[in-house]
Amino acid sequence: MKIKKLKNKLKKSFPAFDVREENNCRIVTGESDNWNDIINACSMCVSKDKNVHVVNDIRYTGKAEEPMRTPVEQDSFLEGKEPDVLVIGGGISGATILRELSKWKVDALLVEKESDLAMHASGRNDGEIHPGVDLAKGSLKQHYVLLGNRLFPDLSDKLDVPFDRCGQYACFTQGALIGFVGLYALKRKYIDGCSDTKIISGRTLRQKEPNSNPDFKFALYNPSAGCICPYGLTIACAENAVQNGAAVSLNTVVTGMTVENGKITAVQTNRGTLHPKIVINAAGVFAEEIAKMANDRFYSIHPRRGTNSILDRKAGRLMNGIASVKVLELHSGHTKGGGLLHTVHGNILAGPDAVETNERENFATTPESINTVFTKQKVTVPDLTERDIITYFTGVRAPDFEEDFIIENGRNTKNLIHCAAIQSPGLTTAPAVAKDVARMAIDILQAQKLVLRNDRFKSERKAPPRLAEMSVAKRNRLIKENPDYGQIVCRCEEISKGEIIDALNAPICVPTVDGVKKRVRPGMGRCQGGFCSPLVAQIIAEHQGIPLEQVTKAGEKAFLLFGETKGGDAQ
Amino acid sequence: MKQYDVTVIGGGPAGLAAAVEAHKNGAKVLLVEREARLGGILKQCIHDGFGLVRFGEKLTGPEYAQRFMQEFKDLQIEASTLTFVTKIERSSEGFLLTLVNREGLSKILSQTIILATGCRERTAKQVFIHGTRPAGVFTAGTAQNFVNLCGCMPTKKCVILGSGDIGLIMARRLTLEGAQVLGVYEIQPTPSGLTRNIHQCLYDYDIPLHLSHTVTRVFGHDRLTGVEVAQVDDNKRPIEETKQFIECDALILSVGLIPENEIAENLGIQTDPHTKGPFCDQNLQTLHDGIFSCGNALHVNDLVDYVSESGETAGRNAAKWKRFNRSFASIEPSDGISYVVPQRINVADENMNTILYFRSAKVFDKVTLQILINEKCVFEKKYNHLRPPEMERLPFDFTAFGLKNTDTVKLLIKEDAQ
Repeated sequence: MKIKKLKNKLKKSFPAFDVREENNCRIVTGESDNWNDIINACSMCVSKDKNVHVVNDIRYTGKAEEPMRTPVEQDSFLEGKEPDVLVIGGGISGATILRELSKWKVDALLVEKESDLAMHASGRNDGEIHPGVDLAKGSLKQHYVLLGNRLFPDLSDKLDVPFDRCGQYACFTQGALIGFVGLYALKRKYIDGCSDTKIISGRTLRQKEPNSNPDFKFALYNPSAGCICPYGLTIACAENAVQNGAAVSLNTVVTGMTVENGKITAVQTNRGTLHPKIVINAAGVFAEEIAKMANDRFYSIHPRRGTNSILDRKAGRLMNGIASVKVLELHSGHTKGGGLLHTVHGNILAGPDAVETNERENFATTPESINTVFTKQKVTVPDLTERDIITYFTGVRAPDFEEDFIIENGRNTKNLIHCAAIQSPGLTTAPAVAKDVARMAIDILQAQKLVLRNDRFKSERKAPPRLAEMSVAKRNRLIKENPDYGQIVCRCEEISKGEIIDALNAPICVPTVDGVKKRVRPGMGRCQGGFCSPLVAQIIAEHQGIPLEQVTKAGEKAFLLFGETKGGDAQ
Repeated sequence: MKQYDVTVIGGGPAGLAAAVEAHKNGAKVLLVEREARLGGILKQCIHDGFGLVRFGEKLTGPEYAQRFMQEFKDLQIEASTLTFVTKIERSSEGFLLTLVNREGLSKILSQTIILATGCRERTAKQVFIHGTRPAGVFTAGTAQNFVNLCGCMPTKKCVILGSGDIGLIMARRLTLEGAQVLGVYEIQPTPSGLTRNIHQCLYDYDIPLHLSHTVTRVFGHDRLTGVEVAQVDDNKRPIEETKQFIECDALILSVGLIPENEIAENLGIQTDPHTKGPFCDQNLQTLHDGIFSCGNALHVNDLVDYVSESGETAGRNAAKWKRFNRSFASIEPSDGISYVVPQRINVADENMNTILYFRSAKVFDKVTLQILINEKCVFEKKYNHLRPPEMERLPFDFTAFGLKNTDTVKLLIKEDAQ
């Protein structure tokens, strides 16, 4: 569409906005207090040319977003460092890229502003490893989802992260749709490369998923779909990278960059100024900010939040794989009410929904989100009930308006690589994307110096042992070696003190209640830490040699306690 | 492999009483406790008021527990602390329990099992509190653990949601430790804790109680910075116009207790949807032969005295247990009664003398409780007051009624004509 025509079209719907094209960007301008108008206007301006991106320069005059949350640390820990590669962002993208980089003899550093890895989208993800059945050929998403999906059995094995190829079902109540969906499946199978997709009958579905709605007439079945623990995988990748010589600096926020002659020469952080040779932008919802700092902003991120609920393991029987009811929608946009997924830990996860938002770090949940998901998913499994919910959480996705990934070198800034606009299926694609991004970085470095492979790279990483899942003999042997493995701290998930201490002794130690929870799961069960959180806090305090009141939930500011009672040392 | 007649799981007040009583009735007993010390939740209940019914005096939780622990020790009953039951299997010889502790895994064989696993607290998400997930949201029991066992303050200024007894006790405890308790919010139109606790813990300290109010939202990214409260309508839905922000650093929850019956459920033991505890007969034997239930795992009690009593019933009967075919008449809660324990009478047992524990479904004044057998009234008792938070205890002997397994016993409330 010619820009003039687009201008008119936009004006018709949104008189307050304007669009212009420059440097392969469609820059949308104006002012509005209606966020949905801004999203719709920008989406309207998306070009068919994949190289052209929408940049949202509309000033939002509604309720302003809170400033980006930053760590309290202020020191010179990183001052003057000159890493070969600086990865910004400790989500699944950054962590997998760091691991790929650690296969080379390069000095790679990942910075993450939060107190742990996987604190934003990667820690709030449903964990589905997508089959790619919903994607048509031609997008980066589709290219990488097929590549990524295949990497999981080996990757999860090497990194000791549980992965279950449990299969996914898109279920239909309208039998008449079978012809249409059948054609869709054939196209996906033979043209788009999702080779294992197939139609199964309602009867077959019920054999595999006995609790699914008896009214389902047929389903589109994708055996290659699976699930993994998304934060577990992120942590595992980062730990493995660190074991192989890479570095991770948590609580480190990039505050600015110096760009000279199309090159980033300095990166300012709260922990000092660095001079990396290459910068990789894997900053999730803040990728556009990083691009702006680097003088290379050619896309816009529009945050989209979603809420997931976790159900008690008692309800785990409701679903063995991944499923959702499907209704025919003309506009087959993004997720609207998610699905049901049997997690690798035996819970059922319900969600997520999808709501556009201007707030990148507002993780507050609302009753509406839970209602949306449950209303829809009670059709998938009629026995589903909110009463089984043990927790829920909100994450914010980081799509651009083109709804595809941006994986490319900087357009203006030469030593920058964007790994941006990573949204669903970003967890699935991450291992494949990381290979390419690392390769791009190595190629830039190779032009400057000789970069050799890290011949001492070890692809294996061991997670803390999971005693409750072991054979009697093995568990006994470990307890004999370390009696802490025999002392159960978390009754709901049957986690021992030894496992908690192992988490604290891991290559990346995050000595907070949530840090331990994400690594070895005390507090993930039905009592949600009611019984074990004081015990976990005590184990952390003991391990770190700090008073109990200095132990936090997550990060430095989320303190649990306000010092001693009047009686003082009641212990 | 070590063998026992009775294995008690849980070393709180119910388990201690059960173990002592089983031992006194000649059984070889093992008590398994997950924590390092016996006493269960009583360890952290340092307030008084325990034992009034049983000992006629006001004891603190640790003092009350100590009396049983002393007896337990004097009788030299075997206990295994810091020990977790990880698996229970049935065998022709009895129950095979797999225990895990610092020495490793071990298996024991037991003829009977008494489940005295207590209860857990309902969490914020189980009552659908929304907003952020900061530090500073505690269940009252967790807050009590931090204050009384760890000697640390979980708050300086808090709101308490729910007027359950632990919440009321914590309102007073935190106030005594110098924290500000801004108010107790209760979604129900009536308090859910004991009347004496409302007076002694709230009114005596000028802590406001807001009935028909709830917390709708939590604020704060790191530490909690405030909560939103609202009045609720008759359907317990928050009324938009009454929403109000309260600045505070913690939300303490006392929104109900749930019997811990994961072991029972794994064994396929049927539980009562009203009590969330196993269905039991007059001997507190579950519908599964050889497995007994007592204390808060059976149903949530408000007085520890009755927890001990049910422990003793279970202990005594477990010690005497022999395999024989049971046959049940059922006891059902009817008009005005929310639940009754036990839910079954084993009519094959010549002794049908039992203690009925029940709660009314709402507040009643001047009413008559009736016991019906097959719709025929066989017993009446007048009550001046019946309140849901206050459990009622009624010894009743069914022996003389010649109950059959087809019979249904009903408990109901008749409101007296004014």
